[in-house]
This record gives sequence, C-alpha cells and structure tokens, in this order.
Amino acid sequence: MMNVLSYQHYPIYAIMLLFLGAFLIVLFGKNRIARHCLALLSVGGSLALLCLLIPRVMLGGEIITYWLGNRSVAGGFAFGIALEVDALSLFFGLLIATAVFVACVYSIKYMEHDDNIPQYYTLFLMLAGGVMGLVLSGDLFNMFIMVEILTFAAVALTAFRNTARGALEAAFKYLVVGSIGSTCILAGTIMLYAQAHTLNFAQLSSLIPGNFNGATRVAFALLFVGFSTKAFLVPFHPLAADAHGAAPASISVLISGVLTKSGIYGIIRLAYFLFQSMDQATIRWMLVIVGSVSMFVCVTMALAQHDFKRLLAFHSISQIGYVLTAVGLSSLLGITAGLYHAMNHTIFKGLLFLAAGAVMHETGTTDLNRLGGLSKRMPHTTVLFLIGAASISGIPPFNGFASKWMIYQATYQAAVDTNNIGYLLVTIVALVTSTLTLASFVKVSQSVFFGQLPEEYKDVKEVPFGMRLGMGMFAVLCILTGLLPNLVTKYLTAPAAHAAQSAARYINSALGGSVAPAETALPEAVGAWNPINWLLLLGIALLALTFVALLGKYDRVSENASGEKLAPKYDVFFSGEKSEYSQVGGGDLFWGFKQNWRHYFSFMHDLHSGIVNDYALWAVVALALAIVFLQIVL
Amino acid sequence: MFSLEFLQTALLYLGYILIFPGFLFCFVIGLLLCGIDRKAVARMQKRVGPPILQPFYDFFKLCGKETIVPAAASRTTFMMAPLLGLSALVVIQLFIPVFNFRVFRNLPEVADIIVILYLLLIPAVSVMMGGAASGSPYAGIGLSREMVTVLAVELPLVLVLLSVAKTVGNAMGTGLVFSMSGIADYQAAHGSLICRASMIPAALAMLLIIPGETGNHPFDAAEAETEICEGLLAEYSGAPLGIFKLSHAVKMLTLTSLFVALFLGGIGSGVVRLIAAIGLTGGLASAIALLLQVLIMVLLCIVLTLVTISFVHAVTARLKIEQLFKYYWTVVTGLALISLVLAWFGK
Repeated sequence: MMNVLSYQHYPIYAIMLLFLGAFLIVLFGKNRIARHCLALLSVGGSLALLCLLIPRVMLGGEIITYWLGNRSVAGGFAFGIALEVDALSLFFGLLIATAVFVACVYSIKYMEHDDNIPQYYTLFLMLAGGVMGLVLSGDLFNMFIMVEILTFAAVALTAFRNTARGALEAAFKYLVVGSIGSTCILAGTIMLYAQAHTLNFAQLSSLIPGNFNGATRVAFALLFVGFSTKAFLVPFHPLAADAHGAAPASISVLISGVLTKSGIYGIIRLAYFLFQSMDQATIRWMLVIVGSVSMFVCVTMALAQHDFKRLLAFHSISQIGYVLTAVGLSSLLGITAGLYHAMNHTIFKGLLFLAAGAVMHETGTTDLNRLGGLSKRMPHTTVLFLIGAASISGIPPFNGFASKWMIYQATYQAAVDTNNIGYLLVTIVALVTSTLTLASFVKVSQSVFFGQLPEEYKDVKEVPFGMRLGMGMFAVLCILTGLLPNLVTKYLTAPAAHAAQSAARYINSALGGSVAPAETALPEAVGAWNPINWLLLLGIALLALTFVALLGKYDRVSENASGEKLAPKYDVFFSGEKSEYSQVGGGDLFWGFKQNWRHYFSFMHDLHSGIVNDYALWAVVALALAIVFLQIVL
Repeated sequence: MFSLEFLQTALLYLGYILIFPGFLFCFVIGLLLCGIDRKAVARMQKRVGPPILQPFYDFFKLCGKETIVPAAASRTTFMMAPLLGLSALVVIQLFIPVFNFRVFRNLPEVADIIVILYLLLIPAVSVMMGGAASGSPYAGIGLSREMVTVLAVELPLVLVLLSVAKTVGNAMGTGLVFSMSGIADYQAAHGSLICRASMIPAALAMLLIIPGETGNHPFDAAEAETEICEGLLAEYSGAPLGIFKLSHAVKMLTLTSLFVALFLGGIGSGVVRLIAAIGLTGGLASAIALLLQVLIMVLLCIVLTLVTISFVHAVTARLKIEQLFKYYWTVVTGLALISLVLAWFGK
C-alpha cells in the first residue's frame, strides 16, 4: 500500500483540492476571509503539488499511473478509473494551475462589489477542477464527465453578471453550442466503447490504431468536433466573442487560458494517442488547415471589433490557431513550438484580459470608441498592458515572439522537408497574422490608454494593488518565458513534446508493459535567436543614448506646472476644431487596410449574424464535413 | 571573470555599439545619406537645395530648442519613445554584416533574418506609441496610416526574406538558411545573390520596400506634412524630435545596408582577393580590407538611396493610404512571389 503522502497521490490531490475548495466555500463562503483563504489555499495547493511533480515527470520521464479504488489491469483489460500523468498532462496541468492561481489573486479585489461572491468562487473552482481533471485523467469517459462540469461552470460564470447587457444571451449561445460539443464527445466515447469494450485511454490507444472501421472514423470526427468547440476553433469562434464580452475578466482568463487549452489537449490526445494517425499527411493537413484558418479569420474579425474584450476574444482564438497549426506539423520542433505558444498564450492572454478587466473596473465600459487617454490615470495598468500587447504581437524579446519564431521555423522547415509549397503558405499566413495582431493592439493602445482622455473619465484612479499584483505575476512570466526560451524548451515543452510523440510509453505504463526511457533530444531550429544577448545589447545602447541625452539636458522640458490655466503652447494642436470632435475612435482606425479588404469584411459581417440557430447549424455542418472527410481519408 | 581578456572583449563590444557599426557610424552615415538625398531631390527638381551637411545642422539646432510636452500627453512614454526607437535601430545595425566583417564572429549569432524582420517593428512601434502618447488627433491619424504602411510592407518583405533563405538553402544543400552570416558567407564564396536570375524580382521588390519602410515619398502618407502636420510627430519638438529625425535617417542606412547584405554580399570577397593579390598580409591587410569594405558599403548605400529614395521622390506624388496598401500587396508582393516560386523550384 502506498503511503498517502507519496508522489503517486499528487495528481488526485491536485484535482480533489479544487473540488473540495468548491464544496467548502459553499459551506463557509459567507465569511469574506474564510472564502478567500479557502480559494487561495485550494488553487495554490494544487499548483504546488503539480510543481513538485516536475522533477520526476518532466526531467525523469516518469509516467504516473494511478488507479482509483485500488483497481488495476487484470487479464489484459483495464478495470476502473485511472489517472495517467505524463509530461504532456503535467504541462497542461501546470498551465492551468498557474492561470487559475493568478485569476484567483486578481478576483479578490476585482469581484469585491459583486453579489453572490461565494457562488462565484464555487463555480470558479468547479471550472478549474473540471479542466484539471480533464488533463490528468486517463479514462475517456471521465474526460467527458469533466467536460460537462467545466462547460456548465463556464456557462454559469459567463452569465454571472446577469444584469449586464448581453450576458444571458451569451450564456445561452454558449450553452447551446457547448452542449452540441459535449454531446459529440459523449457520442464519440460511446462509439469507441462499443468497438473496443473499454474506456481506459491507454487501452483504447492500443486497440484502436490499425483497426479502423466506419464506426471508429465517425468517433474520431465526433471527438474532434467536440474538442474543437471547447477550443472555440473556427467555426465555433463567435461563441467565444460573446462569452468573453459578457464574462467577468477573471473568468475570461479561465475561458481563454484554461478552457481552450482543454480543447487543444483533447485534440492532441485524440490525434497522437487514441488514433495515432499523425503519420498521415491528410490528418496533419486537417489540423494545420483548421489552425491556419482560425488564425487568420479570427485576427481579421478582431480588427473589425470596437469592444476591448470582444477584440481580445478573437485574438485568443487566433493564437490558438497558431498552437493547432504547429501541433499539426507533428515534427518535434512543431509540437514543441505549439506547446510553447500554448503556454505563452495562457500567460499573455491572461494579462490582457486582466488589463481589460482593470479598465472595466474603473471606467465601467470596454467600448474602444468611448475610452481614451487612461495612461495618465492608470500608469501601471498601461505598462502591464503594453507588455501583454507586445507579447501577443510577437515583438521581441517577449514570450510571444519566442514561440512564434519557433512556429515560423517549424512551418518553413516542414515546407522544405516535405517539399510541399502549402506549408510555405502557412508560414506566410503566420507571419502576416502576427503583424495584423500588432495592428490590433496598436489600435487598443491608442484608443484606450493613449489619445485624449474623455471628460467623463477625468477622475478614474489606478486599480487596487491586489489586481495589479495579479497582472504583475503574468507580466513577469511574459518576460521570463520570453528571455529564457532554452530553459523553457528543455524543462517544460520538449519533454511534453516527446511525450506527445511516444504513445507506446503511455500505453505500456498503464497496461504494465516495459516502459522505454524517455527521449531527451532538444528540437533544433535553423535560425538563431538569443534574447538575453539582444537585451544586453539594447540595454547598453539605450543606457548610452540616455546618458548622452541627459548630458545634453534632454529632460529639461517645459511643462505646464500651474495646472489650472493652460498656456496655449501646452495645448494639443487642433487647428481650430473643438477637441471633443477630434478624438480618433477605435472602431475604424485602420481604414486604409479595411478599404482594400472591404468585400471580405462585409462578407464576414453578414456571415456572423449573431443568431444562435446559425451557429448551431455551423456546428452540425462542421460535424458532417468532418465525418465525410475522415471516412474518405482515414 | 574580470580578467584582462574579458575586459578587452567588453571594450571591443562597447566599441561596436558606440562607434562602429553602432551609434557614431549610424549617426554620421545616416545623416549623410539624408543630406545627399535632399540635395539630389533638389537638383532633380532644378532647385539649389540645402548643403549636404544640412541634416547635421538641423539635428544640432533641434537639440538646442525648447522641448514642450503637451498637457494631455503621457510624459514618460512621450519622452522615452524616441530613445528606445533609435537604440533598437542601432542594435539592428550590429546584426547586418558589412561583407566579411561581422560583429558576432566569435559568439553565437544573436538574431537571424526573421528576428530582424520583427526587430524592425520596434522603431515603428516606438514612434507610434510616442505619437499616441502625445494625445494629438493628428497623431491618431498618423498612427493609423503608419500601421497600415507597416502592414503593407510586411507581406512583400516576408516573401523577399523567405526567398533569400530558400535560395541560399538550396545552394548550400541544407534546405534552409535563416542566419544572416550564413547568407553573407554563401555570397562571399559564390558571388552576390543578385547575379541569379531568380533573385532579380526579389531585389526589385526590396528596392521598392526601402522607401515604404523609411516612410519616404511617395509612401509617406503617415507623415504627410501638408495635410496632417507630420502625423505622429505633430506634437514633438526640440531634442526628442531631433532624435526621431535621426532615427529616420538611420533607418535609411539600415535598410540600404540590409539590401547590400542580402543581395550584393559578394563584392567584399573581391576586395579581400585584391589585397591578397597585391601581396599584403597580416594586421595591416585586414585593416585595409575592412576599411575598403566599409567604404564600398557606404558608397553602395548612397547609390541605393539615390535610386530608391531620391529618384522615386522626385518623380512621384504622394499616394493615398489605401492606394499605398494596394500597391504593396499587388505589385511588390507579386514581384517577391515570382522570386519565391522560382527559388522554390530551384531555378
């Protein structure tokens, strides 16, 4: 019998802590301090337990198989429920625990003025526990259970501020399409069970590959579409926009940073383990095309938005498109790059949503056309936002660039290796999407933080320290993971990528075969990017320049000291217009670009009707296409 | 750690940053290019034009002027943006090889061409952030146009860089070369890339990209003095304005020298061979070789400036922003695409 404190128990504790926290908050959540302590303890404990597993699982290559109820494999068949934690599961688990922890810290101050806070934390922890259970589970049906828990928690949280305009509508849309997705996963699970008579993930992975028939192909399509709805890939992207627009910012962090990861995780498990079909070019292309289309369509959708959070929501899916594209390449470099970007996405997207939440908290709106000039009132939030914006736009040396750079290398490498010009197109789309992302965030910076401060926001203040602390944690992570790509690759992403490529180890570990030692080779990129050295050079250059500039009295500026009555020379130049008419709004800032793409934009505008029936129809059509496609090619 | 050797290396790299090919070199040559450009345009328009050293006078004069920060501006961003933009540009210059001379000969390479593509965004972003921070509506319009210009230029630039990477990779038999020094090495050994028929469209595209990246006429919708008062720079004055003007001049140097490094890199090895033929060896020979190479580089940059910036400036009128975007995404992208396809099929 294992010691109750031995490390094999850590995964189940990590899940249990979150659900236990949810349960206890129902009981003792009326008290403010008890509530916060319970929430922080459960998410912090969960994060700590997973961190303790890093040496064994990531570095040692160990796979933890944990049987609930002390059952195990008998006669070659797996009985009972298993948790199975390899480097891939742990990688996603760590992402989730980190994001949940930061969101929890942020929530303390952010949710202060809302009603029903105990219910908020209960649902929050249910959502976190659901995703954690999903990625650590080694059982297909349990994955479905967790999908149900997290979907319903997410729906409820989307509508948490149900007095806000659009919240109930968004939740309803999410409920409808999310349920279609969950049903797909259930149906897929049932079909696989009917074929293989087991639900254990490892055993399914050993039985299904090589024994494809009509039913398993349909199951693949069902599971693929099901997990795609969880990741909000095209054509399920309109849901995310509505959900993020309505949900509190801390919940947006979970939906974007955590929930979409569960979809990506599901797709990786599905394609690399359950069906082991990534050696087929058509399946690789399926992932790459869905990824590239998501990446491009959503970035253009984001350009057309004039609401801060909706804009972020579309970018979130665009970045998930990068992840799926890279993972779909199935090369070691590709998977490593994809997982790296998945991690960075959680971090910078979390930061951006929290910054949007901070703006919402202080001004009560996220409409880009009404905001402006907040950098004078909220300087810290502005700096933190700019770090996040630079990260997501792929500006060196932040983390978004480090992972996108690997993705460019991986796609171009794939084009050269397979001599397929299609991958080249993917590289170009990826490179251009990155610049379009930059355009979008330049727009947000101009419309929210710079530009003119509208009269009604003259008195807004910086957000409380607790909220800045949450954003600061993400910002530090943005910089660290951007500056140390080698360490991240070595200790986190490369082990996880190797785990994704070695289904045999996963199967043998669960079913009691001999487990080969884990691969440790690092992926090799063609080019060179050395962020620390670059930063050193830039730092010296900037210091030297600043020094010379200060010697030349660069900082001796004329400022209006009296404050009250402005000398005309300190006014912004309006050429006779009244200042209130000359604010450049955010909605249509890049007119020169949109003019050239007007047919595309009006087509997209008409397509996104906002009617849930249409979106449900899209889901059904996507499912039908996936079934037909997989019947033909697999 | 603080041995003599370390101190020497540190001083060497400090020299690289501060003198050559860093600040001093960028400052002098950049402003020189700017002066030559202004003179040449004036002569083409039958004007006398300013003296060639006028940009230097302008810069020093601006540095002595009063700096006014508008009351509506965010002061830190407003003041820091010019410094950051210029530093980032100067650092890029360190990554562009001057024929056989490379700053990072003994160290692992810091940045490949894809990284340089994104490093080039930092100066653009810093001028946009600085302008946005001024709170001026003209800066808002300037920012919108500047960003669209960046978007317009980015696609053909990506294609040019990918086709160079593929061509060199094909020739080296490794499939792909992204490293800047790899491209320079290849050209030193096998002659300039522009001598290949498949690279000529890409070189043409790159020539058209240069005025777009630097924001020169006719692609200067973002500045457009006559309609939006220099857009992003509308509220800038004094030393910060001087530094932005300097950045603009340095950007001309960066892009023309990038062109030389990408397409004309084979010329430097001729110099080395010439010196070897005369019979010079040792430290003196390498010093003369370096000097000659820098001289040739500067001359080529001047020629390229005259061709891509001055001549185009003199004969065209400013494009509207949507025309600019369309031009880059059709004509220039088309040229670059031809090269990429040719490179792909190994011609």
